[in-house]
Amino acid sequence: MSPQSRRARAVRWGVPIAAVAVVGAAVGAGPVIAAAQGDPALPDRTAEQLLTDLAKAARDTAPPAMSGTVVETASLGLPSLPIPGGSSSSPLSLLSGSHTLKVWYGGDGRMRLALPGPMSETDVIATGKGEAWVWRSDTNTATAYTLKQGTPADRRPAHPTPPGATTPADVAAKVLEAADASTSVAVENGQHIAGRAAYQIVLTPKDSSSLVKEVKVALDGENHIPLRVQVFAKGAAEPAFEVGFTQVSFSAPAEENFAFTPPAGAKVERKTLGEEDAGGPFGAGKTPGQEAMEKNAGKVRTFGTGWATVAEVPFSLTDLSKPATGERRDRGSGDPAQVIDSLLKSAKQVSGPWGSGRVIQSKLVSALVTDDGRLLVGAVTPEALAEAAGHK
Amino acid sequence: MSTVETSATTAPADGPPGPSAQDPGREPEPRAAQDMERPAGEGAGRDTEPRAYQDAGRDTEPRAGQGAGTGKGAARGQGAGAVAVRRRGPGRAALRMLGSELGLTFRRPRNIAMLVVLAFVPVLIGVVLRVVGGDDDAPSIITQVAGNGLMLTFAALTLLVQLLLPLAVSVVAGDAIAGEANGGTLRYLLTAPAGRGRLLAVKFANVSVFALAACSVVAVAALVTGSILFPVGPVTLLSGSTIPLADGLLRVLIVTGYSAAGMAALGTVGLAISTLTEVPIGAVAGTMVTVVFSQVFGLIPQLEPLRPWLLTSWWSSFDGALRDPIAADVMVQGLLVFGAYALIFGSIAWARFSGRDITS
Amino acid sequence: MTPTMTGEGAPGTAPPRAGLPTAAPEDCSIVSTGLTKRFRGGQVAVDDLHLAVPRGSVFGFLGPNGSGKTTTIRMLLGLMSPTSGGCEVLGQPMPAGLATALPKVGALVEGPAFYPYLSGEANLRRYDAADPMADPRTAGARVGAALDKVGLGAAAKKRYRAYSLGMRQRLAIAGALLGPRELLVLDEPTNGLDPQGTREVRTLIKDVAAEGTTVFVSSHLLTEVEQMCTHVGVMSTGRLVAQGPIAGLRAGHAPRVRVESPHTAQAVFVLDRLGLAGVRAEDGEVTAELGDVEPERVVAELVADGVAVRGFGVQRPSLEELFVGLTGEGFDVDG
Repeated sequence: MSPQSRRARAVRWGVPIAAVAVVGAAVGAGPVIAAAQGDPALPDRTAEQLLTDLAKAARDTAPPAMSGTVVETASLGLPSLPIPGGSSSSPLSLLSGSHTLKVWYGGDGRMRLALPGPMSETDVIATGKGEAWVWRSDTNTATAYTLKQGTPADRRPAHPTPPGATTPADVAAKVLEAADASTSVAVENGQHIAGRAAYQIVLTPKDSSSLVKEVKVALDGENHIPLRVQVFAKGAAEPAFEVGFTQVSFSAPAEENFAFTPPAGAKVERKTLGEEDAGGPFGAGKTPGQEAMEKNAGKVRTFGTGWATVAEVPFSLTDLSKPATGERRDRGSGDPAQVIDSLLKSAKQVSGPWGSGRVIQSKLVSALVTDDGRLLVGAVTPEALAEAAGHK
Repeated sequence: MSTVETSATTAPADGPPGPSAQDPGREPEPRAAQDMERPAGEGAGRDTEPRAYQDAGRDTEPRAGQGAGTGKGAARGQGAGAVAVRRRGPGRAALRMLGSELGLTFRRPRNIAMLVVLAFVPVLIGVVLRVVGGDDDAPSIITQVAGNGLMLTFAALTLLVQLLLPLAVSVVAGDAIAGEANGGTLRYLLTAPAGRGRLLAVKFANVSVFALAACSVVAVAALVTGSILFPVGPVTLLSGSTIPLADGLLRVLIVTGYSAAGMAALGTVGLAISTLTEVPIGAVAGTMVTVVFSQVFGLIPQLEPLRPWLLTSWWSSFDGALRDPIAADVMVQGLLVFGAYALIFGSIAWARFSGRDITS
Repeated sequence: MTPTMTGEGAPGTAPPRAGLPTAAPEDCSIVSTGLTKRFRGGQVAVDDLHLAVPRGSVFGFLGPNGSGKTTTIRMLLGLMSPTSGGCEVLGQPMPAGLATALPKVGALVEGPAFYPYLSGEANLRRYDAADPMADPRTAGARVGAALDKVGLGAAAKKRYRAYSLGMRQRLAIAGALLGPRELLVLDEPTNGLDPQGTREVRTLIKDVAAEGTTVFVSSHLLTEVEQMCTHVGVMSTGRLVAQGPIAGLRAGHAPRVRVESPHTAQAVFVLDRLGLAGVRAEDGEVTAELGDVEPERVVAELVADGVAVRGFGVQRPSLEELFVGLTGEGFDVDG
């Protein structure tokens, strides 16, 4: 082939290569452009100042009306679960893979969450009038929950006010003081999440037995709404769990988002939620696991403190073999019993002076099911679990 | 043995023969096709202007050769031809070629058969649902059809967008270049000259129109079947809200358009594969294998990060049009993915096709 | 038929390209310089071709099957790109100037190719639509005229599938005649035609040429080229071994006398005496270049010398004899 025809060929094939580059650049440039647009001129803040701002905002102002898209990504390192990724709008599917939620918040307890699935959708709508609807399009059911008091909790992580703290500065100081024993707290500036400039609080556990390397919480620079939470496991560069906005708008969403009328032909149920009812809006029927948990709720013991806390509950595998008590079993994949079953199949047999049992380990959480009927869970190494199991 | 007794050659020893030897014409005026009164060959090949034969048929007189032209006709032809040349842009010519391409596609028995099969599927679903009744365990979209005939459109597209629609589009797209090469018609199109880039562009437009037609056929067949067999009324969206029928029809349009865009993106993949081979069935199979592999990859949990990059994972995102509010972000992202696929595979097809030796 | 005359006097021993006048490039419809095509496997299909096809000529592109004719035509039409060298068609470099040149070129390449499920007319319309310079308003008239020209007017509405081999070939020629052309490139145009069809095609080519269109016609049939063409180029295993006006080729080679006689020695003596060159004797036959001597004088001298003349003739070397010397291969004379 002559040099000029070789050159002509190189030029020709340059075009698709350029096309790939353009597409790649467009994909890669999205966040860059967003970062460039978002003004990074946030004043520097120490952790204490930031927490003070936060506490002040929580006390003085109602959270702003907003809407956005939340993407949750979990790569917990769990054994593969019988959940076809993305093909189920069941809440359990959130345990693996990446999921998208739409959030609308209108203030005054009005909120809507939509969990889209393929040709299906699960919606939770809090109307702000003491009523919440759960709509599942795949089963064509609408369930109305009448709340005894208040409204369903906002999905934003709550910031509990330590007793005795009165001013926001006090709160900040107390929180930091409490954290200091187990955690180092730092603040990063210049983050951009969903096009918003944000502060990021980095919490690093001091305990070496913790599986958690660090937790990053990004707060909107303007109104201190948490925009993203990332949990990093030790030895991994990518977060093991991440939930955050990919798109957020702080303008008031349309009112029709917070109203719900069951469509014609849908099965409609009405329930009144008691305080102790742990079913929650997502659980259309209680699972055997949940029942077992509820039954044993009073017998939880904890060992250790801070990040290395290990929880122990009485637990028996036989609880799981009972049929579901919900009026409608989740068919096929996504069945909690099946999930736990497949988890246990992957468990490793261990034994020690405390007895013997099975260990399930993921990137962030370890669980030990002892043969004498206890379940120990913690964000710690299996060795730390085994040690805790020795405290009979 | 061929033995020629004495010289019989009449042609002059060198130079062009006959009339053209006395060719006086070097005038740069366009040659009028009918103008056969002038010495034949006058000006032949010397004008660099566009040909004026476009108007040759004006006075129903066929062009050149039959000695039928008159001076008057020539003059008229010339004048009108010059105007016509100025008026006709490359766009019109491309449209004409697309028209020819569409005529070919939609008159081809095989393609008609595919459209008929596609139209038959929603009819079948509708009749089965009507006769057997919705199984309570069936996906909700199917059971909803019984309540609202409009839902049959979405149910049918959900089903067909996975395999049958891609198959139909693969056949047309895979056949686009490879089929012409296999039949030898490619060399005549290119010497017409269709132009390689132009031919590819027309083929892509043709595949896109076919994709839209295929999706529309499904939608229309489903609408008709649904409205005959089931009640039709306000539509319940996936989000649980109810919209008026007219709004529902608008959503049908959106869903059809989105599906067609996804199929057109597959069309560019088929087109690119089609430039690689002279065996049309190979190109069709190659395109289908791409679809199936892509769908399998989309199902393997370990390949989850790959999913947003796969064409197939965006096809069923037309369900965004059935949410309230419409999940425009997801659908726009899907359209962007389709566009990216079209850009990349279109340019691959071009790079391959524009430099290829046509040996068929 | 296999040519037999390969003796030393056979023409073509000198490089014909040097010996024949070729037209200046600006007067040529097709010019190629060093055109070469090497396929992937390393096989050289066309090797350093310097073609010059004068405007207005009927150029016979002659060569046995597999000698690179079709590959050359594909390069001329921009279907293939040359490995090296280049070519110009109607003054446009190919394939860069393809869009400008090809609308003025009618082509028949390697046999007909059409859509079997379309009628002949629809097929031609399809190709016409692919030409961006063609006017859709006149398409019907032009298609009709082209079909009439090749005698397919009656079969215009028939599906191509139902066409006979000859009809298909005619349709392909009609496709090449869809517009007024400055150049026709016809690759084996009489393939598959019966003698009647072959004659018609020849007449057609002559008519088209009479209008001033250059016709570049490839063939492996010598007689065809001899009957139609004013110019000829001869291909052999990828190389152009001769090109130029047919008359010029002939002129370069003197006619020979052939004397059949039992008295060969005596005949040789007489011919020598008359000053004829290249006298050769085989048994019962003596040949020599005629030169300026009138044939009747040769006969008179032979008879006067008492040579028993059983047969006498003047032979012009046939093209076949010329080309056999060039290519070392035979041509089918009448297919």
